[in-house]
Amino acid sequence: MTLAPMDWVIIVVYLVGCIVAGVWMRRYIRGVEDFAVAGREMDLNLGIASLAATEMGLVTVMYAAQLGFTNGPAGATIGVLMAVAMLLVGATGFVIRPLRDAGVITIPELFEKRFGKRVRWLAGLAVVLGGVLNMGIFLRLAGDFLVHTTGMNPDYLQWTMTVLLGIVLLYTALGGMLSVLVTDYIQFLVMGLGLVVTSVLVVGSVGWGNLVAGLSDAHGQAEVYLAKRETEENAAREAVQALRADQGDEAAGALRKRQQQQREEYLQDNKAQLAKEGVLVATAEGKVQAQTMANPFNPTSSRGLGWMYVVWQAIFQIAVVTTWQTMITRVLSARDSRTAAQVYRRTAFYFVGRFALPGLWGAAAFVYFWKEGGLPEGIDSLTAMPAYLHLSHLLPVGVIGLLIAAMLAAEMSTDSGYLLTWATVIYNDLIGPCLRRPMSQKAKLLTVRLLVLVIGLFLLFYGLWYEIPGNAWDYLAVTGNIYLASVFTLLVGTLYWRGAHRWGAIAAIVLGAIGPITFLIVNGIVKSPRWDIDPSWEIKPEAAGFAAFGLSFAGMFFGSLLGRSLGAAGTSSTTTSETREESSRE
Amino acid sequence: MNSVLIWFWAVMIFASIAWYAILLFTVGIKGGYEIVHMARSLSQRPEDKE
Repeated sequence: MTLAPMDWVIIVVYLVGCIVAGVWMRRYIRGVEDFAVAGREMDLNLGIASLAATEMGLVTVMYAAQLGFTNGPAGATIGVLMAVAMLLVGATGFVIRPLRDAGVITIPELFEKRFGKRVRWLAGLAVVLGGVLNMGIFLRLAGDFLVHTTGMNPDYLQWTMTVLLGIVLLYTALGGMLSVLVTDYIQFLVMGLGLVVTSVLVVGSVGWGNLVAGLSDAHGQAEVYLAKRETEENAAREAVQALRADQGDEAAGALRKRQQQQREEYLQDNKAQLAKEGVLVATAEGKVQAQTMANPFNPTSSRGLGWMYVVWQAIFQIAVVTTWQTMITRVLSARDSRTAAQVYRRTAFYFVGRFALPGLWGAAAFVYFWKEGGLPEGIDSLTAMPAYLHLSHLLPVGVIGLLIAAMLAAEMSTDSGYLLTWATVIYNDLIGPCLRRPMSQKAKLLTVRLLVLVIGLFLLFYGLWYEIPGNAWDYLAVTGNIYLASVFTLLVGTLYWRGAHRWGAIAAIVLGAIGPITFLIVNGIVKSPRWDIDPSWEIKPEAAGFAAFGLSFAGMFFGSLLGRSLGAAGTSSTTTSETREESSRE
Repeated sequence: MNSVLIWFWAVMIFASIAWYAILLFTVGIKGGYEIVHMARSLSQRPEDKE
C-alpha cells in the first residue's frame, strides 16, 4: 500500500488543523483550573467527543484487533461489558456524581478530605506510577501499526513518532484541557469517519456470511489440532521426567531444549500444511508460535476467554469507568454532575464499537491469512491486522489517507489526554501538598506545562528509544491493575463507607499492588523455557485481577477496623457525600 | 446456542457501525456549537482570577 498525493493531502490537512485549533485555545487559559479541567465549561457533546477520542487510542485499536484475531467477534465481550458498566454508572451516578460535586481536580485530592495528606500523596503516587508506566508503550505500538499498514521503513519510525509527539506536546502544553477538548473534537470526527469507512470496506470485502463460516471452520479445525497437540505435549513432558529420574537434571534440561527447538523448526517448515489444519504460525521478535481461533462467538468457552475472565472483566470495567483518571477528568471538566452522568450514558454504546470494529478487522485478518496459507514472516497476532489492511489492498486511494489520519487522531487524542492528566496529578497531588506556601497562578501554570513536557520526554525515551523487555500486554495489565484496584477501593470507601479509616486506605493501596506484581514475577518465571516448571503454574490474568481487588478491599476493611479499635486518628468519619450535604445546608 | 450468539455479534457490529455514523453527524454539529459557546463564555470572564 503506497500513499498517493491525495492521501498525503488528507494527512497534512488533518495535522495542520489540529495544531492551529490546539494553539488557538491557548488565549483562554488564565489559571490551573482552565488548564486542567477547561474551567469546568465542557458541555454534553464536547464531553462525548472528548471521552470517546481519548479512550480510543491506537493502542486500543491494536489490542482489540488482536482479540478479534485470536477470539473472533467474542473478543469484543470486553467492550460490551464496558458499555454496560458505563450505562449503569451513568444511570445511577455511582461514584461520578459525588466526585464531580466534590469540586476536586483529581481523584487523590478527594482522599485528603477524608484520610489526610499522606493518603492523598500515596494515592497520587500509585496513580502516576500506574498511569505513566501504562502509557509508556503507546508510541511503540502505534508505530507498529504505521509500519505494517503503510509498509513504512522501520528506520523512520522513531523520527515519525517523535514529530507526532512533538505536535501533541505543543498544543497540550500551551492550551491544556481547552486545547485537548477542541483537538479531541476534530480527532473524534476524523477517527469516526475512518473507522466507519474501513469497517464497511472490510465487511464488503470479506462478506459477513463468509466471515462467520470461515471463523467457524477455522475453530473446528483448531479443536482437532489442539486435542492432538495436548497428547503430544504430555508425552514429551513424560519423556523429560523419565530422563530426569534416569540421568539427572542436566540431561532432562537438554532434552526439553531440544524438544522446543524441534517444535519451532516443525512449525516453521510446515506453515502451509498447518494453515490447512486451522493453525497460523506467527513469527515475530525471534519467537515462533502456533496461533489458533478460539470459539469465535462464545466468550465463555473453555478455549476462549472463559467464564472467570468474563466475570473478572465485568468487575474490572466498573472500576475502570469510575476510577481511570483520564475518564474521570471528563467527569470533573463537565458543567455539573448531571452533564457528567449524561456523557456516560450517551457514550456507553461507543465502547462496544471500540472493541467490535477493530475486532472485526482482526477476525477478517485471521480468515484472510488462513485462506492465503499462513502469516507472512515477521507477523504475529498483534501486527496481523495492519498487515492485512496493507497486503489485501482493500483500501482505495483517499481512504488510506483517511485511515492513517484516523489512527494518528486516535493516538494523538489519547496521548494529549493522558499527558495532561498525569501532569495534573503530579502537580496537584505530589508537588502541591509538599509546598509550604501556595504558588502564584503563573507559577502553577508554568509547573504543569513543564510537567507535560517532562512526561513527553519520558515517553520518547521509554516508549521509543528504549526497548521494553517482555510481553507488552502483561505489562499493560500489571501497570493498570496496580492503580485501579486500590484507587477504586479508596473511592468507594471515601464516598460510601462511614467506617473507612486512614489505616485501611494505606493498606488498600499497598495490598492492591501485590496481586499484579506477583502475576508479573511468577509468569516471568513460568514462561521461561525451563524443563522443570509446569506451565499450569502460570497465573491467569483474571486470578491476578481478583486477587488485587480482593486484597485491596480486605486491606481497607481490616485496616479500618484495626485503626478504629486502636483509636488512631482516621481524619474524618463522614463520607464525602455527607460532608458536601452539610456544607450545602450551611 | 451458537446461532443466537452469531446474531448477537452481528447486531453488535452493525449497530456499532451505524451508531458511529450517527454520532459523527449529531456530535459533529452540536459539538461545534458547544466549542463556539465555550470560547465565548471563557472570553467574557473577568481578566484576573487571582
